[in-house]
Amino acid sequence: MKNRSTMSLLAAAVLATACATAPMTTPTLDQARADFVSANNNPQVSQYAPLEFKQASDALDQANAAAARRESLNDVDRLAYVAKQRIATAVEVARGKAAEADIANASRERDQVRLAARTAEADRARREAEAAQAQAAQAQAQAQAAQQQAAAAQQQNAALAQRAAVLEALLVEMQAVKTERGYVVTIGDVLFATNQATLTSSGMSTLRKLADVMAQNPNRTVLVEGFTDSTGSASYNQELSQRRAEAVASALGTMGVPRDRIAMRAYGQAFPVAPNDTAVNRQLNRRVEIVLSNENAQIPPRTAGR
Amino acid sequence: MDQEHAMSRLLTPLVAAAVLALAGCASPQKAPATADVAVSRNAVENAVSAGAAELAPAEITAARDKMVRANAALAAKDYKLARELAIQAQADAKLAQSKANSAKATAAADALDADLRVLREEVERANAPSATTTTPAGATQ
Repeated sequence: MKNRSTMSLLAAAVLATACATAPMTTPTLDQARADFVSANNNPQVSQYAPLEFKQASDALDQANAAAARRESLNDVDRLAYVAKQRIATAVEVARGKAAEADIANASRERDQVRLAARTAEADRARREAEAAQAQAAQAQAQAQAAQQQAAAAQQQNAALAQRAAVLEALLVEMQAVKTERGYVVTIGDVLFATNQATLTSSGMSTLRKLADVMAQNPNRTVLVEGFTDSTGSASYNQELSQRRAEAVASALGTMGVPRDRIAMRAYGQAFPVAPNDTAVNRQLNRRVEIVLSNENAQIPPRTAGR
Repeated sequence: MDQEHAMSRLLTPLVAAAVLALAGCASPQKAPATADVAVSRNAVENAVSAGAAELAPAEITAARDKMVRANAALAAKDYKLARELAIQAQADAKLAQSKANSAKATAAADALDADLRVLREEVERANAPSATTTTPAGATQ
């Protein structure tokens, strides 16, 4: 059976050889040629496997030559097979070398990324350190400012306390009386020349103390109030109280107290501090009262009761 | 296969005749065939040590099969067949070896690429929070 079919095949081959002019081929040779075209178009192959591709090309040339010489199918197929395997080998070698090149590239890239990461980390650490330093400096500055503020407040408190002590001492010397309107210093009749509006030297010395107080306490004002006894006409008394109050106010002015801090009122015989029945009592009523305002305060007006 | 067997059976007497005819100069044919078989055996061994048994099993099996047949042909003093089979086995073995090598290199490259991607993501994550914390600080200055 087999022998006979082979014989007929052979016969057919012989006949075909006799009349066929078309180049002969085999499926393996066709495959090898197609693979060759594909490999030839693969840039990796020309870059990474030129030697292997040359060997594959030579093997294909041999197979093609065998086909052109119309050698046996078996021989052509055998040569084509070797060519096909060598083409595949060239492609695989190229793929492997390309992958190795990728590995080299990726390793380099990895080193760069690691370096960049370390640099970024160092930068970050530096920035954080700088921020911490700046924060510490700021905190220190704040602490210093607070300390200075506290010292200044302490100083101010000390100054205030000292001023209060000085004021206290002066007020005691002037025999000032604390009332709800402020401290009241009374310049009595004996500090004026009789029936005159001229101050005696001891009256001037009291006023000088008051001017000192005014200089040290710029937030206080004074109200100068003039009074008389009921002897004589009301208009004369009004005028006398006015003149005496003016004398005190202008004396304070010459001692350096700004006039806008000095107010003045004349009450005549109103608001006596004692009944006008004896000479001593009348002398008490002939007076000038100086009201020293409280710190930053207005002096309330005199009410009818006093 | 059957056809090949049939062919070889048919060809055998012819070959035998040729061999007989060339009996005088048969010994020079033996040497190159033996050399080719040895070279191919070497190629198969190289492919196996490159990992072809796992990475290119079809090719290495074909190469080994042809080696067995080449050795048989050598034993039968069919030097032409032995040479042809040895050459094919060598082509198979070289393909198996290059396939194994490229598979390993490709796997390594892929792993490295994956590593690189992970590393890049880590770096980006590490840099991201610092970027958001420095922005308000910069804005206040």
